[in-house]
Amino acid sequence: MDPNRQGARASYVALLIFVALWILVPSAVRRFNREAFVEFQAPALHLLGKSRELATFWEKKSRSVEEMAAAGRDLARINAALEIQIHKFEDIRRENVRLREITRYNVPAEYMSVVARVATRDSSSWWQRIVIRKGRNDGIRPGAPVVFGNTVVGRVTAVHLTTSEVDLVTSPGFRCTAYLEGDDQNHIVLVNGVASNSLGTAKARVSVIPRDYFMPAGQPARVFTTGMGGVFPSRLMLGYLDGGTYATQVGNFKESLLMPSRDLYNLQEVSVLVPLHQNPGEALMQGDQFQ
Amino acid sequence: MGWAWLFLLLATYPWLLGADLASDTLASSSLIFFVSGTCLVAPCRRLKRWQAVLFAAGIGFLFEARRPIPDGALALSLVAIAIFLSSNRQLIRNTPGMLRAAAIVNVGTCLIWFLASSYGSPSPATDLAGQLIFQLLLAVVAGTLGLIPIALTQNAVLDRLNVPPAPDTP
Repeated sequence: MDPNRQGARASYVALLIFVALWILVPSAVRRFNREAFVEFQAPALHLLGKSRELATFWEKKSRSVEEMAAAGRDLARINAALEIQIHKFEDIRRENVRLREITRYNVPAEYMSVVARVATRDSSSWWQRIVIRKGRNDGIRPGAPVVFGNTVVGRVTAVHLTTSEVDLVTSPGFRCTAYLEGDDQNHIVLVNGVASNSLGTAKARVSVIPRDYFMPAGQPARVFTTGMGGVFPSRLMLGYLDGGTYATQVGNFKESLLMPSRDLYNLQEVSVLVPLHQNPGEALMQGDQFQ
Repeated sequence: MGWAWLFLLLATYPWLLGADLASDTLASSSLIFFVSGTCLVAPCRRLKRWQAVLFAAGIGFLFEARRPIPDGALALSLVAIAIFLSSNRQLIRNTPGMLRAAAIVNVGTCLIWFLASSYGSPSPATDLAGQLIFQLLLAVVAGTLGLIPIALTQNAVLDRLNVPPAPDTP
């Protein structure tokens, strides 16, 4: 037999044996392999993000002094207004803590905010993700919520040494509970990402909407987190109900689509809310299935 | 040279990073700029079979690393394709053959990761045919247009590493 063909046949057999071993091998080996390739790429992703920042820096440096002075003046005004707001919120927080102590109400989870720059965005039908330039070294843990202002961006799904992967609100792996604006009885609805099937903006699905719910007239209904489950703080905005609600096949509930309130693919910076105390759900999230 | 596959992988990585950058700009349309299959064609003409296998595995694992694709689905498929291409070098001995191979391999491997991801996805989906067609069309275009610059880079590296050129009559 031709040695080339013989060699090819032997290679195919070796590959089949390797595939069988690969399936049987402990998941820790596969995880180590994946982690090694992620860490190999991490410096390049950092470089990519930093070169983007450098480009922005030179673009800003080319602006005129008058323009920069005007921007500085506007910022100073905004800072002054925000400082007053901070004092107001601090008073409210103190009063809140006092009232919780009086009523012995369970203190909600507290978070440490880690600001991170977005390194790259990656999106297909089956995942919508961003990679941020902060990781395990900065205290980020899997499952931590990711926000921009008061808007939910997504949730950390994988943490590496210096980078983390964030599943966006519209990603099929994303799930959380929510309240709808205009629902006086505060029924809980479910929000989960759906596989993207169009070239348009990715959306999530809002399900288990009660039949007697009607959207407020003249404005899109906002969707807020409930704070249940201990992952997301309450009253963060997930987005708007897109268009009307429609009855499901079962007919007991209605469904709608959720339009993210921000363009998730244009974010430059996000905040990761890392719980100060690890909650029981996090341990489950660190398993194999949470990829 | 035994480590030629590794140096070639390092030399090919900027192209993969460039593809990631292009995917970044296409993110709002949920499309991936996929060139991993194309990167495999030129090295299979010159590398030994075992070297091509290691190179293919490296390319596959680099793509899978940051994406929720079942472990090894793409990498092992690329390895199988590398074995096939390095055993049938007459199919890729000229430029039209290489272009044809780049388009076919890129589309095939793109389909593999798409199906593997759908298998591993936590939520079902309907009516994805349009999106799949767009993704495959992009893979054809990226695979064909990307072949020449990628192959030129890879051949230059292989020349520097004193890897013998591809025989005209394999």
